Amino acid sequence: MFQNPQGKPFLRLDHVNFSYYSNLGEVKVLNDINFSIEKGVFAALVGPSGCGKSTILSLIANLLKPVSGFITFYSEDFNAPRVGYMLQHDHLLEWRTVYQNIMLGLEIQKKKTTENLELVDNLLEKYHLSNVKKQKPSSLSGGMRQRIALIRTLAIRPDLLLLDEPFSALDYQTRLNVSKNVHDIIKSEQKTAILVTHDISEAISMADIVFVLTKSPCAIKDVIPIEFETNGIQREDIRKSKLFQEYFDKIWREMQNENTEIEI
Amino acid sequence: MKTPKSKYENNLNMAALTPGQKNFLRHQKLQKLYIFWSRILLFVAFIMLWQVSSDLGWIDRFYFSSPIAIAQLFWHDIKDMSLLSHIGITLLESGISFLLIIALSVLTATFFWFYPSLEKMFEPFLIVLNSLPKSALAPLIIVWLGTGTRTIILCGISVGIFGCILNLYQSFAQTDPERLKLIETLGGTKLQAFTKVVFPGNIPTFISLSKVNIGLALVGVIIGEFLAGRKGLGYLIIYGSQVFKLDMVILSIVILCIIAMGIYALLNLLEKKI
Repeated sequence: MFQNPQGKPFLRLDHVNFSYYSNLGEVKVLNDINFSIEKGVFAALVGPSGCGKSTILSLIANLLKPVSGFITFYSEDFNAPRVGYMLQHDHLLEWRTVYQNIMLGLEIQKKKTTENLELVDNLLEKYHLSNVKKQKPSSLSGGMRQRIALIRTLAIRPDLLLLDEPFSALDYQTRLNVSKNVHDIIKSEQKTAILVTHDISEAISMADIVFVLTKSPCAIKDVIPIEFETNGIQREDIRKSKLFQEYFDKIWREMQNENTEIEI
Repeated sequence: MKTPKSKYENNLNMAALTPGQKNFLRHQKLQKLYIFWSRILLFVAFIMLWQVSSDLGWIDRFYFSSPIAIAQLFWHDIKDMSLLSHIGITLLESGISFLLIIALSVLTATFFWFYPSLEKMFEPFLIVLNSLPKSALAPLIIVWLGTGTRTIILCGISVGIFGCILNLYQSFAQTDPERLKLIETLGGTKLQAFTKVVFPGNIPTFISLSKVNIGLALVGVIIGEFLAGRKGLGYLIIYGSQVFKLDMVILSIVILCIIAMGIYALLNLLEKKI
């Protein structure tokens, strides 16, 4: 079982198995998944397309139930943790303004309190979106739309953020900028996050720890802590560093053994 | 004639236009004017040809009437208020039928969206009822409900409702599942998924179905008035044909055309506002 070396876990998956059932029989998607994540950590799940990465997120978000195994959150105040989920596309509702889109989660959870409204205003101000809050999403760029989707997720004050390939619909240039933006926002808000991606570079540049997954049925093949800061490398220099290449080669080799398509 | 500026034109800074762009916009404007005046000309030519044909005896005035005879009849019937009351009755019955089609379709499609297995049960029956020529049902409705407004409204409803339910449900069911997942991830219930995503996301379908069904309600009401009416434009058409007052028949048809155009324009306006 892969576990972080120090600290109390915030989330823990124990022997989690999951299968889909169809007329053709049982399709085993997850095979004995075990890992834990500490509070404030940014983790990335990297694996081939269709291996079951998103299924892990759906199980953590309680959208699916595991066939067997346990998913445990460790909370200091005994309250159920709030989970925020960012999907592949921003799914901003075009009939709502930017502000109304951001308020969607609070409306649903009936939490439009003064404090939460202040939080939304602060987030809009902090991330330079106040000037577009009355606009409809159709008039905005892909990168801006993803930042709004992130603020919609942050507005419900999640304890854990699940990011399901949130940049895959963006072009390469926008993707680099937005992934950096999103990373900075999550770190400055001190959130715990799990990013699902099949883009190795994205995982290395954003995460503190990378879990490499096998092809379906998905299992954890390796855990690679990403340690740029401890090696004295500034965040803006990550992609140019030798260490980045080393991490990349390592994950690449792991994934190549899986004999699958990989996006660089 | 002053034509409204397009959104594109409004967004452009007219002073900053290049000669090529100006030429392009002028060409577009001329094209629009050309189509508008061609339509008017076509209509006026048709009316004049009809009048001349009738005056010169190329067509039988008794069977085909003439625009002037129809205008005179219109003026006469408007003065004694009888025509207005027939138009009012048809409009009222069509309005009620239309509102009932929409209300019942939204209710049923919503119910089906919440319980899709119910839709599976009802689908073949709805398809059969939708394919059935509704005029075949009208005599049966008369036997059940007698003649009068109730029968006419039921005829009006029967023409559009089955197709409206099927189309609206299909549209609800085709809502992007990822959007529903978004609501689920935000902790929303199925009711919230419906009110926040499914229904507002289907407003354009709702408007286009309304456009179709206002016309179908009118068709159903006219069928009802043919068979069971004592008032209304459908009754005037049947009565006029029976007593060979073909001016009355053609006048009623012209008024029906104007009503249909008016309603269509109204719905277009509503669509733009939404």
